[in-house]
Amino acid sequence: MAQSNPVSGVFQDLTIVDVSGSVATSYAAKLFADYGALAVNLEPPGGFPTRRLKPLLSGGESAMHGYLHTNKQSVIGSKTHLKDEPVTVNADLVIYDPSHLPRQDYLADIDRNTCAISWYGLTGPYASMQGSDATVHALSGLMRGIGTPEGPPIIPPGYQAQIIGGLSAFNGALGHLLATKLGNLSSAFQLDASILEANMCFTDLAAINAYNNNPLPPRMGINRFPPTYPLGIWPCKDGWLGVTTLTPSQWKAFCKLLDMEHFADVELFQSSVSRLESSDLLEPEILQALSQHSAEDLFYRGQAMRIPLARVPTMEELFSVDQYSSRNAFSQVTIGDDAFHAPSTPFRLFATPPHFGGPVADLGADNYRWSVTHE
Amino acid sequence: MNSASLPLTGIRIVDLTMGWAGPLATRNLADLGAEVIKVESCKRFDWWRSWEATPEWVADNGAEKSPQYLSVNRNKLDITLDLEHPKGRELLLKLVTTANALVENYSGSVLPKLGLDYPSLVNANPDLVMVSMPAFGSTGPWSEFRAYGSTVEHSSGLPHLVGDPQQPPTMQHVAFGDAVGGLNGTAAILTALWHQKQTGAGQFVDLSQVECLFPLAAQGVLQQSVTVEAPQRTGNAHPEFAPYGVYPCSGDDAWIVIEVTSEDQWQALQRLIPGLADFSDLTDRMQRRKNLDTMIAQWTLEQSADAAMQTLQARGVIAAKLNNGHDLLHEPQLRDRGYLQWLERDHVGLQPNASAPFRTGAGPIPIRHPAPTLGQDNDYVLTEILGLSAKELSALENQEIIGTKPRLPD
Repeated sequence: MAQSNPVSGVFQDLTIVDVSGSVATSYAAKLFADYGALAVNLEPPGGFPTRRLKPLLSGGESAMHGYLHTNKQSVIGSKTHLKDEPVTVNADLVIYDPSHLPRQDYLADIDRNTCAISWYGLTGPYASMQGSDATVHALSGLMRGIGTPEGPPIIPPGYQAQIIGGLSAFNGALGHLLATKLGNLSSAFQLDASILEANMCFTDLAAINAYNNNPLPPRMGINRFPPTYPLGIWPCKDGWLGVTTLTPSQWKAFCKLLDMEHFADVELFQSSVSRLESSDLLEPEILQALSQHSAEDLFYRGQAMRIPLARVPTMEELFSVDQYSSRNAFSQVTIGDDAFHAPSTPFRLFATPPHFGGPVADLGADNYRWSVTHE
Repeated sequence: MNSASLPLTGIRIVDLTMGWAGPLATRNLADLGAEVIKVESCKRFDWWRSWEATPEWVADNGAEKSPQYLSVNRNKLDITLDLEHPKGRELLLKLVTTANALVENYSGSVLPKLGLDYPSLVNANPDLVMVSMPAFGSTGPWSEFRAYGSTVEHSSGLPHLVGDPQQPPTMQHVAFGDAVGGLNGTAAILTALWHQKQTGAGQFVDLSQVECLFPLAAQGVLQQSVTVEAPQRTGNAHPEFAPYGVYPCSGDDAWIVIEVTSEDQWQALQRLIPGLADFSDLTDRMQRRKNLDTMIAQWTLEQSADAAMQTLQARGVIAAKLNNGHDLLHEPQLRDRGYLQWLERDHVGLQPNASAPFRTGAGPIPIRHPAPTLGQDNDYVLTEILGLSAKELSALENQEIIGTKPRLPD
């Protein structure tokens, strides 16, 4: 049976307890665990919901669970109320999703810092509504801009909204824990983190622009967004090239790169918005020019000319991109005898680095550490 | 609430970032009460104010009217220092000696050329946390490559998971990488500040904005690694659930997302839409997904997105209307929580400001003041913090090392 190992690091003096195991709570706790906190999953007898998320390994374990729960402990909850669980005594922070609690009064009388991560926040008319990553993308306005003009808008896949929600909740919780260290906070805090509000980071400008009578136009098409053009992902001879040109100098350089210099100095095209308005005129020429070149060649030549071009790697190619492999952007997760690669922590403290990958605890593997007895 | 009771009161951040990602990272710290001092110069002002500045724009005070700039710089102080001038660099280093952290997102070669790289800064302040936020990270063969938030999304693999297989790899936003990089930047700075508080030691922190997107693509990354098969794009068709999709509602470009992920939800939907009686278990629904979606669309087209959402949610079915920018101004959930805070700002008047996405009280964390104007806090920072005299300040202005108006290249 795999067991997690005590780890050390920046947060080595912190104990974080996750009592819900949604993707969002798991990701928030993961960031603490990556930097050495003692992170304990207090799981129901059937395990956290993340244990059932696809893709699954040959033995039936969830790779997504593995990614979210490296270097954590697993304890099976056995008490009616959280305050009676031994693990809670030492908890610096309890993270939970109010829609994933064993009972309504589960958190009663708990004198600990808490961080609720819910779809829409703990208050307001939607507080008890059903939520999902897709409903957050819908309500936040992100989804409205993705897809063809005639629709339907496209749903962003996976657990993106929850990852953003978990990351944002980590920031709020850590900020308040730091407040305690700084002497700015003397009592336990109860943080209310909304996944919807966290995802407004993509779209709050749309609201502000609407207020200023400058609303974003409706969907303009696949990979077409205001306020600039050329912008998009286009086919070359041998693969996809990501293109962004914003400033006049980038536009001129892009024209030179593609032997389209007859467009470079046209007054109308010096403005990003004007180019966008002329995209139907420009696009056929751009596509024709791109088709003559390899994406790899254009990427390197373009970057040398200070144009922000990109290779657009597939999932398979991602693992072999030099830049990413040289930085260990993906690291190995082990569950029993199985191993696979998952994203590493995106930010790196040089003197106190995070854990890269690691083992995943079986359900209840750490019961013995916390003298778990069943009521 | 005044700043004395905010979580990060007493923390000082020198902010050399520009654009969206870096300023968002430091805005989140300012919201929590840190004193964030943004450093621009009159010649090299934050390009987020405009990437196409003209003399007319300068004359019209365009630098103070950019909504995108205002939204990510509230709660900060702003000074101007010409870092190409030795005196400007000297003052920056002096400011660094008083700070807990410095954050920057210049392209790789800029700070070393100015003599303001990490070794120089840490020489001035050995306990300094320095956070660098380049697109691809500060190491590796692409460390000096240029990128915007769109380039970051292009480079992350994520577009190969989004949308219909007949379409090109699909972006989700004009600058998706910026917001995600900003949130991760905040996390990076806070983590290093925790360590600094625990040990007294500063350090260099490296953040790759592209790597910040990999967790959002985790499902595809894991599928590739576990099955050695490339994940397939399926548009709005969920591989495990049906019905699942975006359906048209009455009105112009009005839509609702509906997902049924349990049998209870399915039965509730069946009771609501009589035409669904013909469909049975999940296997049947997946096989006849197109017919199923047509039946549901016939029902949704008869009502507004908001009414459909309320009806479905009342029956336990996961559903939400698709908002646009205008809708967000009136969204009941956001209004009830006071999410948009309204502040007067010179040159633009009353403006909405998005709150921090977490709170500990009944309302959001109050926004203390709107984004500063260019060089608004030169006097306070240079005299109160750095101890310069009024005469020295005047000399700096005469030498154009500081100022309050943008200057375009000759």
